[in-house]
Amino acid sequence: MKRKRLAITAVSIAAAIALTVSGCSAGGASGGKQKLELWFWGAPPAQQQTMQDVLVDGFNASQDKYELVVNFDNAVDKNIQVALSANKGPDIVYGSGPAFASAYAAQGKLADMTPYAEKYGWKDRILDSMYESGTVDGKLYSLPNSIEDIGVFYNTKVLATLGVGVPTNYDEFVDDMNKAAAAGLYSSVTGNQGWKPVNQNYVSLFMSQVAGGKTMYDALQGTIPWTDPSLVKAVQDSSDFYNAGYLGGKDYSTLNFDQSMKLLSQDKSPFFIGPSLAFQFASNYFNDATGNTADLGYMPFPTINKDLPTPYYTLGTTASLSINASSPNKDGAAAVIDYMMTDSFAKEMNKTWPGYWAVPLKNFDLNADDYTGLSKPFVTAIKDTIAGVNSGNYGYFVGTFFPPATAAALTDIDSVWLGNETAEQFLANVQKAFDDEKAKGLVPPLPVPTN
Amino acid sequence: MLTTLAPDTGRSGKPRPVPVRRGNHFRKQTATNYLLIAPALLLSIVIVVIPGILTLLFAFTNWSGIGFNFDFVGIQNFQDIFADPVFATSLTNNIKWLVLFLVIPVIVGLLTAALLLRRKKMRTFYQVIFLMPYVLAPVVNALVWQTIIYNPNGGVFGLFGLQPPTSSQSTSLYAAAAVDMWHYWGFLTVVYLGAMRQTPVDQVEAASLDGAGGWGVFRHVYLPSIRPTLLLMGVMTVIFSFLAFDYVYLLTQGGPAHSSEVMGTYAYAFAFSSFEFGKAAAVGLIMSFFGLLASVLYTWISRRDLTR
Repeated sequence: MKRKRLAITAVSIAAAIALTVSGCSAGGASGGKQKLELWFWGAPPAQQQTMQDVLVDGFNASQDKYELVVNFDNAVDKNIQVALSANKGPDIVYGSGPAFASAYAAQGKLADMTPYAEKYGWKDRILDSMYESGTVDGKLYSLPNSIEDIGVFYNTKVLATLGVGVPTNYDEFVDDMNKAAAAGLYSSVTGNQGWKPVNQNYVSLFMSQVAGGKTMYDALQGTIPWTDPSLVKAVQDSSDFYNAGYLGGKDYSTLNFDQSMKLLSQDKSPFFIGPSLAFQFASNYFNDATGNTADLGYMPFPTINKDLPTPYYTLGTTASLSINASSPNKDGAAAVIDYMMTDSFAKEMNKTWPGYWAVPLKNFDLNADDYTGLSKPFVTAIKDTIAGVNSGNYGYFVGTFFPPATAAALTDIDSVWLGNETAEQFLANVQKAFDDEKAKGLVPPLPVPTN
Repeated sequence: MLTTLAPDTGRSGKPRPVPVRRGNHFRKQTATNYLLIAPALLLSIVIVVIPGILTLLFAFTNWSGIGFNFDFVGIQNFQDIFADPVFATSLTNNIKWLVLFLVIPVIVGLLTAALLLRRKKMRTFYQVIFLMPYVLAPVVNALVWQTIIYNPNGGVFGLFGLQPPTSSQSTSLYAAAAVDMWHYWGFLTVVYLGAMRQTPVDQVEAASLDGAGGWGVFRHVYLPSIRPTLLLMGVMTVIFSFLAFDYVYLLTQGGPAHSSEVMGTYAYAFAFSSFEFGKAAAVGLIMSFFGLLASVLYTWISRRDLTR
């Protein structure tokens, strides 16, 4: 009798555990629809709402087979890394770029998206350079959600107060920054507080603008060393630029992008040097409600090396989208990615969230006149960037195109800026990290710049 | 029901059971004991032992942290780490951190506890106030300091035209340590006060009658009385100091230019920026080594005290 009771208890407990586990498992059906998950970074509430309205509600209404759910997570990169390692995680994998995706693809954690690319015609639709950057051994593993450039945001009101116009070349730009410093303002505002990889923006910018994209490409192919004189000069120039106070002055390590945009809106500086995705921070301080939208402008960074074309872009991607190899709903995940690779999606997202959704379409058919607020200059900036990319006038953003340990080594550029090591020593460390990763096949395929 | 840890031999006064019955009873009791400790044991094995063994294993591999493809690389990770000047900076910073934490919060905590000892009415109120930073999440404490104290635009440092210490290589470590100590000393105060209140009152009164002053009573009565607590908290401080991570990561990210790097942030960068989990595991082992040293020292001192 006792044994029988024990057996019944054991079976009940096992059944309860099984029910709980099955209830918690991913990929379940919800109301007859297959559930699809996307983990996204912890965007501010207003932007989460845009995501809900345009992506989630839009996608869910567009078909009746899948139910998309987006989870916002401040530690998304780390959590995705842990989840994918355990063959778990979301159906759609949000990552920091093609280099991120290639590291996971090499370990079999991402699904080959080539069949979906053929089904949906992605190759015809996406910018060639962006499509190729997501391939490993000819197979597609990721697509960027947005392209970006590293440029200059300017406050027209402050420029007018300084008695200068929008700079048209690098010398004018430096003159204007010197005038701002002489007037007791920041020469420019930016900073890496809370996110050290911000440094990657400036090492990428100077390598692109001084050494040029072709030199970076050659170094990434291993045909020239990272200690090549042109790259050493680029690093040294970035150090001179930093030490002249042109990157947030003494406050570089105590400012972040949001605070920098705030200072720009408070007329504390004429310039903010940073990625075009910073439009999303700008919209907090320059908007139609405060009536200062027209005060903000954006321009490509003035070309430093006079042998390079003008304008010259530092091409990057904001994030990448892939399909989890362990997802039971790969078709659904591909459908979501396809939904995000359309100009109708880009049009809607950019109405209220400028900066993050420059979908890398060959035909970025957005008309700036259809937009209000900062979406207008953002759309213009991205159309110009795409034209520049199509002409091959670009270098590379480290965080997007470089393998992870090499990117981490380049993030230490502040060691040169603060005089702890020379540009040569710094690049010798980069070379070490790069050699190791190249031997492991972790360098992602790169679009070849023309110039 | 009254329970006791004392053996019950002869307590009930009943005749001893026959050997066979006693064996059965013993086996049943042993099975019950194992069953009772099973959850804790299982948790320890799953959360501590297995990851510990895996960390030891991965420290000798080139594991990327993704999947389970890796090669054994011998002591290559340790060679790379010891050759890296950032490791030397991290280790030095951990030692500086340890010295700071063994001195400043301990002195402040002891002084405050001694003062609170005499303040019977408001003692609880002050303890709650002092303990508040300890119960707040590190991210909240860090944000408060970053925006209100260390902010060059609108913060206290900005108000006085001073450069925030987080922005300088020579002060960034101390800036992070200051916030961590601010959050930690209240906890030490409460622990020390609790220990001081266990000091026999007759000893305190006897010392006072013998003419000992405040310092004398503290030095010769309270201090010896709370010695085990001081020792335990000292060992815990050593262990925590080599595991320091949150406030450094939140306030300086180990910068500028690695100036405030500690081994915790150094390992984190390997694991989550470079995808070099093998090296991160090697750094983790080195961190654990120092904690182990402190634990062994504590055990040795405790045993020596017992055998005195």
